Amino acid sequence: MRSRRVHAGGMTKRLTIILAALAVALTAATAAGAKSNDTTITGAGSTFVAPLVSAWTPALGHAFGYTIQYSAVGSGAGIAAITNHQVDFGASDAPLNSAQQSACPDCLQIPWALSAVSVFYNVPGAPVHVRLDGATISKIFLGQITNWNDPAIAKLNPGGNFPNLKITPVFRSDGSGTSYAFTDYLSSVNQTWKSKIGVSTQPAFPAGVGAKGSSGVAGSVANTKGAIGYVDIAYAIANHLHFAAVKNAAGKFLYPSLRRIQAAALAFPKVPANNELHIVNPPKSAKLAYPISTYTYVIVRKNSTHAAELRKMIFWALTTGQSSQFAAKLTFAKMSTVPKVLVAAEKTLKQIHSAA
Amino acid sequence: MSEISLKATGRGRRRLLVNRAAESTAVLAAAAAIAVLAVVLWSVGSRGIGAINVDFFIKGPSSDIFGGGGGIAPAIVGSLLLVAVAVAIALPTGVLTAIYVSEFAPKAIGRQVRLWLDVLNGFPSIVIGIFVFALAVKVKVPVLGIGGRQSAIAGGSALAVIMLPLVARSTMEVLALVPVHLREASLALGVSKWQTVLRVVLPTSFGGILTGTTLAVARAAGETAPLLFTCAIAGQIVDWNPTHSVQSIPLTIFEYSESANPAQHQQAWAAAFILIVFVLVTSLTSRLLLERSRKKLGLSR
Amino acid sequence: MEAASVPAGLPRTRRLGDRIGDGVLYGLTAFAAFLAVLVVAAIVWRVAAGAWPAIRAFHLGFLWHNQWNAVFDEFGARDFIIGTVVTSFGAILLSAPLSIAIGLFLSELAPPAIRTPIGSLVDMLAAVPSVVIGLWGIYVLAPFNAQHLQTFIHSILGWIPIFGGDPHTPTTMFSAIVVLTIMTLPITSSICRELFLGVPEELEEGALGLGATRWEMVRTVVVPSVRGGVVAAVILGLGRALGEAIAVTQVIGNFIPLHASLFSPGDTIASRVANQYQGATTNLQIAALIYLALILLVITFITNLAAQRVIKRFEFQRTGGG
Repeated sequence: MRSRRVHAGGMTKRLTIILAALAVALTAATAAGAKSNDTTITGAGSTFVAPLVSAWTPALGHAFGYTIQYSAVGSGAGIAAITNHQVDFGASDAPLNSAQQSACPDCLQIPWALSAVSVFYNVPGAPVHVRLDGATISKIFLGQITNWNDPAIAKLNPGGNFPNLKITPVFRSDGSGTSYAFTDYLSSVNQTWKSKIGVSTQPAFPAGVGAKGSSGVAGSVANTKGAIGYVDIAYAIANHLHFAAVKNAAGKFLYPSLRRIQAAALAFPKVPANNELHIVNPPKSAKLAYPISTYTYVIVRKNSTHAAELRKMIFWALTTGQSSQFAAKLTFAKMSTVPKVLVAAEKTLKQIHSAA
Repeated sequence: MSEISLKATGRGRRRLLVNRAAESTAVLAAAAAIAVLAVVLWSVGSRGIGAINVDFFIKGPSSDIFGGGGGIAPAIVGSLLLVAVAVAIALPTGVLTAIYVSEFAPKAIGRQVRLWLDVLNGFPSIVIGIFVFALAVKVKVPVLGIGGRQSAIAGGSALAVIMLPLVARSTMEVLALVPVHLREASLALGVSKWQTVLRVVLPTSFGGILTGTTLAVARAAGETAPLLFTCAIAGQIVDWNPTHSVQSIPLTIFEYSESANPAQHQQAWAAAFILIVFVLVTSLTSRLLLERSRKKLGLSR
Repeated sequence: MEAASVPAGLPRTRRLGDRIGDGVLYGLTAFAAFLAVLVVAAIVWRVAAGAWPAIRAFHLGFLWHNQWNAVFDEFGARDFIIGTVVTSFGAILLSAPLSIAIGLFLSELAPPAIRTPIGSLVDMLAAVPSVVIGLWGIYVLAPFNAQHLQTFIHSILGWIPIFGGDPHTPTTMFSAIVVLTIMTLPITSSICRELFLGVPEELEEGALGLGATRWEMVRTVVVPSVRGGVVAAVILGLGRALGEAIAVTQVIGNFIPLHASLFSPGDTIASRVANQYQGATTNLQIAALIYLALILLVITFITNLAAQRVIKRFEFQRTGGG
């Protein structure tokens, strides 16, 4: 037991020495940390493209010596991050809206990957292959179709036996690019949806239950009998979810696959100046298209501190990064199958310059 | 003479039954609370134990997003950094405030300061996150060189604001416990006020201050909401630089719990387990320290 | 008891150094205290400033309009306010009696040997961070509610509207209430325990000596003498519940408009802000979210002041007006 009598002064001295040592250590650590690695590229955004970026990271390290640090915080947060100069690139499945573009006039969006959204469900007793179409899906999420034994569903699945079970739509409660793609589809197949709810990363879903993140939605559906939700196809496949065959404009009921995603992308060859592409609900002529497909974008600034590295990285992503070992394995279709988009993307790349 | 039974009847019996019912309810309530704690600890431990290995502590996240492996080393380091920044800000400010209230302030002002500290304690942590975001993340802070982006300094500042009332209040209580005769003896010997505070009052209260800080650290280490705005978008490697945004354990749990990768779920549980263990150990330690310092001052129960 | 004594070798004359030292210490500490109070004002100011665009756009109508549409920039807080109030009051409705019961158990009824360990265990519940309770909530509590607890309550009390509807949804207002109860329980019960322990033993023994049962002693002596403190403890727990964002947002279902039943999804102010702030799509949405935060700030501020009032009156009453 310390004797306070003698050590009262010694205590203060000891404390001061400890604090001084801590201060020195912290400064040294900071200095060491501040020796920044010039080839560290930071990014944030879409969870949709996160598996692909994750697969690219070691390959980019081998090819160029880059260290990619990517935070899957959601498309909306990714756009906010690049707008606030917090990262070198943002990733979003949703193109910049006018407010976001004016908040970041320097920002360029480049489509760099291509995949699809699946509609999955938890209906014990449902037939193995459930068929749905845009009208039915949109009415379900509007809260207008409320039971799995509804005649609209029966009509699409002749011979199928659906139980008397309430439908609980499950949606993403956070800012999600997957929500954007899904509501883009719903808006194009249902006028009521378009006028009342619209397209957004944070739409005001009129019915159902919200959950945070792809995993939140999957968990909510898994725990609620009769639930139906939407999630990117890579996640659905990896987690063995039951997803629906969706009817396209040509009348075919299709599951998402690489070829069908490509077909959807090819139905929209024209690329507008700002690279904003909507490939949901392709017209009748795209017979094999899966109707809820979407591009995902990388968002960079025209004036970047890591301009050269970003150009190299994105070019690599658009070319080598699309090879089967990365993209196909995660159900991302090759960008090379849509040459007009690829050319537009590469042209936009050239606009990235080093910050003055 | 017939024997008089000592067994209660009528009203007396009813009173005893009511008493028994009340006692049972109290026991049940305590048992329920402990049962919930046991269930939570069990759930977290059993689900996370599979992910706890050496890699978990020393490695960063693995690059195979649907595979397994990797760890949360960046988050552990980040949390340490955030807590260090928070303590560096909250401890001196809290102790100095407490010294002012207990040694210098007139009673009315002391009451006001206490009141506003209690108000600060009641602010939702998410509001504090928004405050630090508006002040130090959205705008560039002149002189200090921070701002314009998320950083560990911003996150640590938000945690410091949460810790401040706790540190100040517990320090005030401990300072009040220092016997008056100590102060008077020192002053009577001609020692100046500042020497008295620094060399007599503070050393005596050191244990209590340590306790209060430890409890505040336990609280701050688990806070998630303020970090959402100030230190959320960070890289995947270990980073000691406080001007960068860093990973933290609570946010890692929050993100992993909604991740696409079931292996990351397990890591979320494992990280939760580590966080609980840390918070429990610090709370228990501080309680033990409190008991010890109380005994020293002759106030043990 | 070891007495600390004045260290030897301290200067015994009042020199210039001492006067400067006194002044510096006074200045430093006064400044620190001033900063602490200033932070409170600064928080209120910055939140109000951040909310200003939304205040200008929606005025006070924001409080009773009920929509939240980022696409059309239409925002209103009504159901978030109701959700916050319902979940928080529901939580203290459950945790207050439980806390009193636990406080009594720990102070009066438990054998002295197990009081400290059990007390520590209950306090440990407070140590579990909210993100962990939320994590446990989504994966353990919510499914349990959907499959067992909610269906059980519904089968008995389903005729009451708040327990009506379909009880099979996991993420609901009810799940949020349970989570908040777990979080407020340790705070309120530890304060109650301290209060009950503070009742003078002579009063308690007097009642027992007059033939009261333990429960009657508690009811007539202990509880009335600490009634104010218990109310303050409950209000403090309420304050904690009102501000909880992370654990609630994970289990509440994030949906408005609210339904009459507690077994349906809902939302609170803190939960909506935590969920949508990072990915907000327009500046007006950010301002609207901060407007929500401002409303929450006002609510918790009033709650806190109410608690302070009750504590003051209770202190006054307890010390006999001294």
